[in-house]
Amino acid sequence: MENKEQILSESIKSLELNNYEVGIVQNNKLIFIVDDKNYRVRMPIQSEQAFIDHKRNLAQLDYLNQEGCITRKQLITKLKDVGILDIEKIEARKEELTKELKQMWFALATKSSSEKNRIEEYKEKINKIQDELKNIAIEVGTQLAPSLESRLEKFIVEYTAFLCTDVQSEGKWVRVWETIEDFNKADSPLTERAAASITWLLLNKRS
Amino acid sequence: MDYIDVIRKLARSTYYQNIYSAAKDVGSIQLFENKNNYSGLQSLFLYWLKIYDLLYTEISSKEWKYLDEDVINDDCRCDAFLYWRGQQKEAELDKHKQEQKVSNLKFKNSGQVSMFDIDLRGGK
Repeated sequence: MENKEQILSESIKSLELNNYEVGIVQNNKLIFIVDDKNYRVRMPIQSEQAFIDHKRNLAQLDYLNQEGCITRKQLITKLKDVGILDIEKIEARKEELTKELKQMWFALATKSSSEKNRIEEYKEKINKIQDELKNIAIEVGTQLAPSLESRLEKFIVEYTAFLCTDVQSEGKWVRVWETIEDFNKADSPLTERAAASITWLLLNKRS
Repeated sequence: MDYIDVIRKLARSTYYQNIYSAAKDVGSIQLFENKNNYSGLQSLFLYWLKIYDLLYTEISSKEWKYLDEDVINDDCRCDAFLYWRGQQKEAELDKHKQEQKVSNLKFKNSGQVSMFDIDLRGGK
């Protein structure tokens, strides 16, 4: 690395300018702006997490008593039987694409930085494969959304977003919604953004 | 915004790489405000800090022909390189295991000594 001092001062400057991005890793808080207002989501504290788990269990009992409640396994079978989606076939296609992706990675990895055209060519192919893999994941996710497991995952994200989203008011951070009903009634761009940010914050949390 | 892109950008920045190196030597240097209960994103950040630290070290030691800073700064090329590197390491490990097997066979009876009558004069 050349001109270490210059690079260091430049990178500090860039980090200061991208203040919001640093928050991702520094303090477990994610800031976003909706309608010129600053919002943030944060990790739930232990008591909040216990409360969310309790509410999730209640929601599971509630869903189980609802008409049409279906588990992921049952839904997969049903989707195949009615000819909408064959998860086994999709899994096979995913495997095929993953194999192709590895071949492309192998080819790209063994190119020197001077081979710009070849590098771009392989990167394009890789992007195409990755896009197809993403689309498959979205399709499977959409089709399995009515399942009990997917509904509970959605419930956890939304309940955490309700509890852990703050808005900046007169220099202080205060909770946006008092009750889950307020959250459910709120503007969808804000709740969607809060839920998306919480999903990222909770990413791999239990792994 | 893709947070993984941001996390990788931060992790490979000279600023965080320097802090990471210093934190390894000086225990009191803290990377995050929280000391425990790391979020998934923080764990991911730590993972990438470690990976980029390793790659920068390997650039300095010129360990790989195809690794340079352009690779590190391009996520797609970096992913490809990490996959290829993993395959090379695996192949190396397999080769080492095979060699170990052969050498174990050779020296299986190393404690036993045999004697042969050898005619050194070579005549009839």
